[in-house]
Amino acid sequence: MSRRPMNAPVRATAPSGWAALRREARFVARERAVWAWWAVVLLLATLAVASGLHEVAQQRATIARLVEADRADRAAAQQPLQDWGSVAYHSFHFTHEPPSDFAFAALGRRDDTAWKHRIRLLALEGQIHERDAGHPVLALTGRFDFAFFAAFVLPLVLIVLLHGLRAGERQAGRHDLLVATAGQPAALWRWRAGLRAAGVFVVAALPLAVGAALAGTAPATLAAALALLAAHVLGWALLAAAVAAWRRPAELILAALLALWLLLAVLLPAAGRAVIDRAVPLPAGADILLTQREAVNDAWDLPKADTMAAFVERHPEWAPFAAVQRPFEWKWYYAFQQVGDQRAEALSRAYTEGRHTRERWAARVAWLAPPVLLERQLQRLARTDLAATLAYEARVRAFHAELRAFYYPRLFRDEPFDPAALAGLPRFEPRAGAAYLVP
Amino acid sequence: MKAVLAIAAAEWRCWQRSRLAVLAAALLAALLLATTVLTTLRLQAEATERGHHQGQAEAAFRAQPDRHPHRMVHYGHYVFRTPAPLALFDPGLDAVTGQSLFLEGHRQNTAMFAGTAASAGLGAFSLSPAWVYQALAPLLLVLLGHGALLREREAGTLAPLLAQGLGGGTLLAGKALALAAAVGVLLLPLAAAAGLAVGRGESPAAAAALLALYGAYLLLWALLALLASALWRRRGAVLAALASLWIVLTLVLPALAVSGTAAGGGAAGKIETDLAMLTEVRRLGDGHNANDPAFAQLRAELMAQHGVQRVEDLPLNLRGVVAEHSERKLTATLNAWAQRQQAGEQRLAQRLAAHGWFTPVLALAGASRAVAGTDLHHHHRFLQEAEALRYSFVQGLNRVHAQQLAYADDIRRSSDPEAERRTRVAASTWQLLDRFRFEPDAAVVRIARAAPQGLMLLPWLAGLLLALAVLGRRLQP
Repeated sequence: MSRRPMNAPVRATAPSGWAALRREARFVARERAVWAWWAVVLLLATLAVASGLHEVAQQRATIARLVEADRADRAAAQQPLQDWGSVAYHSFHFTHEPPSDFAFAALGRRDDTAWKHRIRLLALEGQIHERDAGHPVLALTGRFDFAFFAAFVLPLVLIVLLHGLRAGERQAGRHDLLVATAGQPAALWRWRAGLRAAGVFVVAALPLAVGAALAGTAPATLAAALALLAAHVLGWALLAAAVAAWRRPAELILAALLALWLLLAVLLPAAGRAVIDRAVPLPAGADILLTQREAVNDAWDLPKADTMAAFVERHPEWAPFAAVQRPFEWKWYYAFQQVGDQRAEALSRAYTEGRHTRERWAARVAWLAPPVLLERQLQRLARTDLAATLAYEARVRAFHAELRAFYYPRLFRDEPFDPAALAGLPRFEPRAGAAYLVP
Repeated sequence: MKAVLAIAAAEWRCWQRSRLAVLAAALLAALLLATTVLTTLRLQAEATERGHHQGQAEAAFRAQPDRHPHRMVHYGHYVFRTPAPLALFDPGLDAVTGQSLFLEGHRQNTAMFAGTAASAGLGAFSLSPAWVYQALAPLLLVLLGHGALLREREAGTLAPLLAQGLGGGTLLAGKALALAAAVGVLLLPLAAAAGLAVGRGESPAAAAALLALYGAYLLLWALLALLASALWRRRGAVLAALASLWIVLTLVLPALAVSGTAAGGGAAGKIETDLAMLTEVRRLGDGHNANDPAFAQLRAELMAQHGVQRVEDLPLNLRGVVAEHSERKLTATLNAWAQRQQAGEQRLAQRLAAHGWFTPVLALAGASRAVAGTDLHHHHRFLQEAEALRYSFVQGLNRVHAQQLAYADDIRRSSDPEAERRTRVAASTWQLLDRFRFEPDAAVVRIARAAPQGLMLLPWLAGLLLALAVLGRRLQP
């Protein structure tokens, strides 16, 4: 039908620059499949953010209830008591890690590690490994938080959306016409892929930004998350577009991209974890507990001076008060609790150090697996990664030290019991900068 | 029937010629092999280690020297959960639940040291043979099945086939048979793993149930691929539709179901349950203090029963009686609250499981864990059996306390070394500790428990077969 001579230069009349973009935008606007996928992404991102916000609200409500119940329980437990030793024995203290202002987007390890404990002055190793963690079936299946959606589902959406970019047109017989009427053929595919990917980014980022506004996320955190998300979408769009340029049928390109996703999102990270867990062995938890228990129980039969000597090594300031006269004295009782912790210290430290080492290696391996890298970065921003768990454990240990510092002078100097002084009992301060503050 | 077989055989030859199909099948087989070997090795090491720790803990308890029996109540005991034989195929909840538990008087502790909690944080997926079957095997079936009819259409062979009088139903049946055979081959690694488990004492019925479950699930995906292949005429569209379906059914919906279930209100955790319970427990009195007013009635009854005026004249040690009495009442309360907490967790698990109607992988995973003995029921039973052991040795010690120790010595033991010496009982007493070995439920029980979730696959299969039957009758070139 065309009257143009076959050899006429097509490019002279073809659009370029902004015109090319406008032309592609018109094409995209007419593609129902693209709109459908954008709608799906918007829906999924909204669901992920909404359920994350809801979960964080539930966790805050739980913490508020527990803080109150803990205070009431401690008051009731202390009320009939008349001496410092018994008070220390019966007073539990609630410790917790509140969800951060960005936790709604990446709930991370909050599902499978404990973020709350109740501890007392007894040997800490017997208490800190207790796990009041989330529901195991939910933790195993894994929830649909924004980090999971963005890291693992979003690349698949981009793959489905972009894999048929050229092959689809080729199969539909429009490929050559499109290329011929485009200003620069390379730019044509760039715009085509770019517009689709940009749309995906916008509909994914929008619910995240709204969620961040609702959760009071620090602007810097949100900005970092959006930048990471943009880099992630860009990376996968480039990869998908590059493979899509392959002169093969669409299904082969799709299969290749899915295989790449499997490799980067599933196989490499899972293999990496298996290798790291094997290469960085941890002491068996049972050994920490058995060591601690044996030390604590042996103390009942050992000469009291032996226990006090081991205790004084760590606390020379109490050496003048370390003599034990009666068969049972509270200062001796708590001294052997601490000596139990001291005996297990090397193992316990190795357990903590090992987890730190595993985490460091995981951070390195994640560079090979972009989806996991994104998930980890979002969890880091949300303070829901293993590092946050370890930091919380360190705070629990510091709080236990504060408790000891409160009770030891009273026990060792045999100070008379004063209920009024209980108001000065250390309180666990959740992480500074947390959006949630204990009322 | 002959035609059906011929069509199936042709389909197989076609796959054998397809480099992509052969490569994908080889990769999946390698992955299954690798995960089976690695999981088996890991579980073997864990089973050995836990068995060793269990033996060590039992030996340590029984080897304690002469001492006051209440000391042993607080010395306590450790129990370890050894993995079920089929855990080498589906480790299930074992990785996210604690596998060791400290047992002591007056308390029920949580199970500690879950594997994942200390694992490197690398993504959402951990490879087990079960997971490879649940998530990745469908992809191979999609790859094999999507071209079944499409290829005939593209090559222009569908019209001649139908024109020769071959019914559409026969054609689809042949293709389905080919895919079913592929499913059968795909199940071989599972059969090998299950055989390994049977060799370690697993019941063949459980192994067969597992094969049936995964067979049904994989068949479901094969039929889904076949249906898509018959419905659409463009290869790109078929594959994109199936890939999208896979994303939605295996990745998105299960995770959304978890979020939805969690949003409906979680089960109260251990600390929350403990705090609610403590208020109630406080009314029961302190079992260490025989003069606690809560035990005044017990004391009065005991003295009236034996017709004595003074506690010292009782033929039993009041302290031991009080300890036994209060442990019994306390344990009743602890168990009631633990049951409440576990029932809450079960309700939540059931709410999640109900989503299995919409996402077959969730149904299959639940049923698979139930058969393998790595589900929530087994976690709870571990806690319950540990509790039964705790109660039995604590009460055994309390009875020794009541029957073998003189009250007069017992109350003076903190101040009088001679009295203290007389309150020590012989070390041979510690033999009262029972041996603890955790075994999965009987296979019949596990299979029955898996049935509700396993049956969720049937409507899918029935629907797909129906759709294919209808389609077969009106198949157009």
